[in-house]
Amino acid sequence: MRPDGITNTEMSHDVTVKPDGGRAGARSCAAAAERSARRSRGRRMKTMPASWKLLLLPTLLLMTSCGRTDTKTLDPTQTPPASVPPLADLKREVVLKSENVTENIELRQLVRLFLECSLTADQNKLPNMTAFWSRDGQEIPDSRLTVALEKEQYGIQRLFNITSEEKVGTYSCVFENKVRADFVLATPRFREKRDKPVVSYVHDFVVLPCKMEGSENESLTWLWFKGNETHKERISAQPDRFEIRSQNLTSRLKLINLTFADAGFYYCAAVYAVGSTMNPIKLKVITFWEPLKPFIAILIAVVLLVVVIFLCEKQQSKKKVTEGNEENVDQNNIK
Amino acid sequence: MPPAAATNLAHKPPDGGWGWAVVVAAFISIGFSYAFPKSLTIYFKEIQEYFSVSYSEIAWLSSVMLASMYAGGPVSSILVNRYGSRPVVMLGGLMVSAAMVLSSFGTTIIHLYLCVGVIGGFGLAFNLQPALTIIGTYFQAKRPLANGLAMTGSPVFLSILAPLNQFLFDSYGWRGSFLILGSIVLNCCVAGALMRPVHKQVASKPSSPLPKFNKAVDEGAAADASMQTADSDPEERRHEGKGPSQASKLADFSLFKHRGFLIYLTGNVVMFFGFFAPVVFLAPYAKHQGIDEYSAAFLLTIFALVDMFIRPFTGFLGNTRRIRPKIQYFFSFAVSYNGICHLLFPLASGYSGLVVYAVFFGVGFGMVSALLFEVLMDLVGAPRFSSALGLVTIIECGPVLLGPPMLGALVDTFGEYKYLYVTCGVLMLAPGLFFFIMHYFNYKKLKEEQKPEAAVETRRPGETVELKTNDEASK
Repeated sequence: MRPDGITNTEMSHDVTVKPDGGRAGARSCAAAAERSARRSRGRRMKTMPASWKLLLLPTLLLMTSCGRTDTKTLDPTQTPPASVPPLADLKREVVLKSENVTENIELRQLVRLFLECSLTADQNKLPNMTAFWSRDGQEIPDSRLTVALEKEQYGIQRLFNITSEEKVGTYSCVFENKVRADFVLATPRFREKRDKPVVSYVHDFVVLPCKMEGSENESLTWLWFKGNETHKERISAQPDRFEIRSQNLTSRLKLINLTFADAGFYYCAAVYAVGSTMNPIKLKVITFWEPLKPFIAILIAVVLLVVVIFLCEKQQSKKKVTEGNEENVDQNNIK
Repeated sequence: MPPAAATNLAHKPPDGGWGWAVVVAAFISIGFSYAFPKSLTIYFKEIQEYFSVSYSEIAWLSSVMLASMYAGGPVSSILVNRYGSRPVVMLGGLMVSAAMVLSSFGTTIIHLYLCVGVIGGFGLAFNLQPALTIIGTYFQAKRPLANGLAMTGSPVFLSILAPLNQFLFDSYGWRGSFLILGSIVLNCCVAGALMRPVHKQVASKPSSPLPKFNKAVDEGAAADASMQTADSDPEERRHEGKGPSQASKLADFSLFKHRGFLIYLTGNVVMFFGFFAPVVFLAPYAKHQGIDEYSAAFLLTIFALVDMFIRPFTGFLGNTRRIRPKIQYFFSFAVSYNGICHLLFPLASGYSGLVVYAVFFGVGFGMVSALLFEVLMDLVGAPRFSSALGLVTIIECGPVLLGPPMLGALVDTFGEYKYLYVTCGVLMLAPGLFFFIMHYFNYKKLKEEQKPEAAVETRRPGETVELKTNDEASK
């Protein structure tokens, strides 16, 4: 699910956040245009006959590329185009001292992720510190910065647009002194994990439930699979075998008229925009003979105990009767 | 001077010998009666999923079972009066077993309500009443100890049944587990087999002339008729002769004129509103305070362990020479102690505070449970105990069923648990003080009533230790 390496061209458009977000993009664009204009001016000085087309072409190219950057930079005044769903904002901050920190972030939707790392300065109190951002262990190009010491801390921050499933991964800020903070992005995990199998009987039915934590009006898409770790097969509702009932945060798979072949692992998957999580449920199918064996064993034991107790009682009462008769005989004799 | 409750028995209670086997039998019966409904809650989640019902519908199963158990009290006491303890317990065991086996084939939730709830509940009622009654026939001087030991069955069985049910559930699912539980519960029949009617013990001995009593405690009469015995005890014949005329006294409503019984009943009705609720809400309150699930469950384990050891100890204390004559005060103290425990609980903080509370509450709960039926026996006497118990259980049905939901509503409205505990504290402390005051007057009145009686009769029935030694000398 996660691509290897940083190949996405969109990555280059991730810019650092400044309070005047939009204008920063424009400024950088203007700065880039200025730089390339200077370069082309330099070229003009070398190639004496000034061909304006030579100047025009790179400027045009730059303008079009700048245009592309403009649409992708943060500009609060710009309304996003209708086709892209509005992204929620999520901010996470971490304060580092001397140990690495791992922060788990649960994502339910596409977000604009603001990550901030603050490293507390040690005794050396160097004036500058370099740091970079990495994704899944690989350094993000052009993310290496030199930060200055400010209020005993070195601060680095970055915005990540988590706009699709491929972008979910582990983002880290790494400081020069090898102290890092890992932000592990993941879809929500299932809380109630059942490690014991569900047991049901042949010709009976069974309901396998899956429940996800979340807010009440959240509506999830659910998928069910049967199989094992390596090979999973999607289950579709067949009227005489499977019945899937999904409602917001819960989903139930009902298996009707069980056979031994139905035993095994079932997986329910909660599908989010940023990915899906799976929960395995093991089903065991047995015949009614299985519990009948201990039932009969205990039944026989109980019947034996009761018979033994009654027999002992009869023996004791017989003994008492004979003793009583002897006593009566003695008493009569005495009288 | 100990007050004499009418314990006019046709025989002298053995106070030992086979009586201890009967205590074991009562231990089993009482254990199943109290612990079985509580331990079934482990299956509720899966049954809820299977039948696609809501949580409250499945919780109804517990309520129906408990209601049947309490409603079956009077029926049970009538049967015990007529046939003795043994047949009723065996019938009860068979009923619960059949109920569980039938329900394992159940196809709707109504099926479960009827089988496990109604039939199972009645079957458990047929276990509880006779078990308590037979102790009264076998024990006199050591009765508080015997009662305490028998009541220990409840926490012990709960500690055994809870993990056992979990194991069965993991191995066999709910259907198979219900089937196997049906066979496990048949052990009640074993307990019933042990409950030998007491007349058989003294069958060969003619005892001193019988004083009059208003109801035959014919444990042995009907059972003897079916059992083959060659004894020629003249009293037995007399009992059998009296049998039909006693049938009209099967339900003894004259108990409502009995002073001690009325005190017991009024106090208990108020007390039971707040008796079980603190147990039910202990774990939820702990979780509400931020304690994790396992530590919250551990609180209940501590509570059950303390309860388990306190019950026989309370029985033993109740038997001592100093306390036995004034055992009603001991009970009043136990009830008031519970009340004070609950009232002080909101002051506790943190997990250690909860643990301390669990220990103290365990002590209080165990004390009250051990003495609950002993004091009733002490007040009304063994002959009328069965009918008294039947009436008490059916009247207590209301508070026991309504208490936890009402107090739960209190938690829901205020959002805080401390009001629940304060209310429970008041609901226990008030009856406790009521008992203290009323029994003070009752003891006084009983003393006055005994003085002219003592002058008339040479032999006084009662629970004095001196009388026991007299009887032993006369053997």
